[in-house]
Amino acid sequence: MLCEKCKKRTATVFYNENLNGKLRSFSLCGECAAKLQKRGDIQDITSMMDSFADPFSDLQEALFHGFFGIRAPKSQSAGKKCPACGTSYQEIAERARVGCPVCYKTFQDELSGLIQSVHGVGTHTGKIPSRHQAKQERKRLLQEKKKALVQAVDGENYERAAILRDEIRQLENEQEKEAN
Amino acid sequence: MSWYHLQGKCADTVISTRVRLARNIVGYPFVSKLDSAGAGEIIEKVGSTLEPSGFRKINFSDISPIMATSFVERHYVSPEFSLQESPHALLLQEQNGVAVMVCEEDHLRVQCILAGFAPEEAYQNASEIEKRLDEEFDFAYEEALGYLTQCPTNLGTGLRVSVMMFLPALSRAGSMNSLAAQLSKIGLAVRGLFGENSASAGCMYQISNQVTLGVSESETLCMMNEAISQISEKEKLARAAIVGEAQERLQDHILRSEGILRYALFLTSSELIRLLSDVRLGIALGYVKDISYEQLNTLLVEAMPATLTLSSESTPKTESARDKLRAVKVQSVLHPKG
Repeated sequence: MLCEKCKKRTATVFYNENLNGKLRSFSLCGECAAKLQKRGDIQDITSMMDSFADPFSDLQEALFHGFFGIRAPKSQSAGKKCPACGTSYQEIAERARVGCPVCYKTFQDELSGLIQSVHGVGTHTGKIPSRHQAKQERKRLLQEKKKALVQAVDGENYERAAILRDEIRQLENEQEKEAN
Repeated sequence: MSWYHLQGKCADTVISTRVRLARNIVGYPFVSKLDSAGAGEIIEKVGSTLEPSGFRKINFSDISPIMATSFVERHYVSPEFSLQESPHALLLQEQNGVAVMVCEEDHLRVQCILAGFAPEEAYQNASEIEKRLDEEFDFAYEEALGYLTQCPTNLGTGLRVSVMMFLPALSRAGSMNSLAAQLSKIGLAVRGLFGENSASAGCMYQISNQVTLGVSESETLCMMNEAISQISEKEKLARAAIVGEAQERLQDHILRSEGILRYALFLTSSELIRLLSDVRLGIALGYVKDISYEQLNTLLVEAMPATLTLSSESTPKTESARDKLRAVKVQSVLHPKG
């Protein structure tokens, strides 16, 4: 997203203001935000600037893009932080270190480029931790039974379909219980 | 008995094999976001899981820098681990070569280092300990990405197999760069003696797998087996070529190195590494008779600065005193009394 003031540089400061019920919001580059603040047009921006605000943000963006294929922080991921550990994508891109297991879900799209550039497009095929073995087996069974249910219904084998439906329900209940 | 007191398989081209499994525990952020209390808790729990099975716990905040460096020289921990400021510990079971780094880059780095070429055995040893930890801890895992690690380069199996190879002939023939380029195409990396960011010394190179996601543990082991056998073959061909060109000159060079190793009164560590490499090649080619690969492996670790200093009764005050101590150490390993 471009800065709405200069319309040249990337917007890195997202400013929202509620003044006596009157809402104002700006998307600005670091330079324009600093100018506006100096003139007193907007409040202190330092507390509202996300960690991407940097006069070299365009350059950084280009670098991240080239480095390991990490996708540059776009405006939608710019303010995003991991709900579990508070890590921003900027931090991950700079240090090639992820903050916690949840970051992989939070920044799934952004990290996919890096993961593919290192490992290719494959998914995990190795060992499974003991606590996940039952879960993964249940998931496989569920897929298998759902497929069989469609076939049973197509073949008008309603007795088998009823059994399969009950089995699926039971597996789904177990799944739900575990998720809670 | 430690790994460096043994020679292992294929000792003419392989010095050691190290396998490591990266694991993280659910409920804690990764190490760079972990506070001291969290790190302390993990160290405590891992310690109480492994100590009853004969592991020794070494809290790195309680040991001297020289002791920490000695663990690097013995290849039980990474250089980065020895310098870390936040709480970190090592769980060591020396007789099986198993060393678990707690709170290095990941919460757990279960490693096994063995002499010579032994990827399957090293994997078995590490895997057995990992299994014990898996019973105790809920490991961060996701179906598509496998074991979740702090650096995305270790996702999937979290398995890294690193083989320390001795490649003097390929090195002398200037083939290492093209070998590294070929290996990178099949997902293998070449590094120096102490792993990441270290320069190669004494023609020793660490070959390791890079890809950990989308390949199983057995596929990785199989690929490493194949690659290492092929590199070994190439090295042996290159050795035969050098012998064919200038056998006497080579023999002269090696025997001179053996002479210096046996009789020098002062030895720097870089000179020692060079001499040990010459003599290792001499054993492989049959020129050196009375020195074994075990003795070379022992010196490669025990005559390094920190380990050497720790073994002496009084700390050598000067570089020169340490070089003298090193020469004494070499003689005591090569000519044991009694």
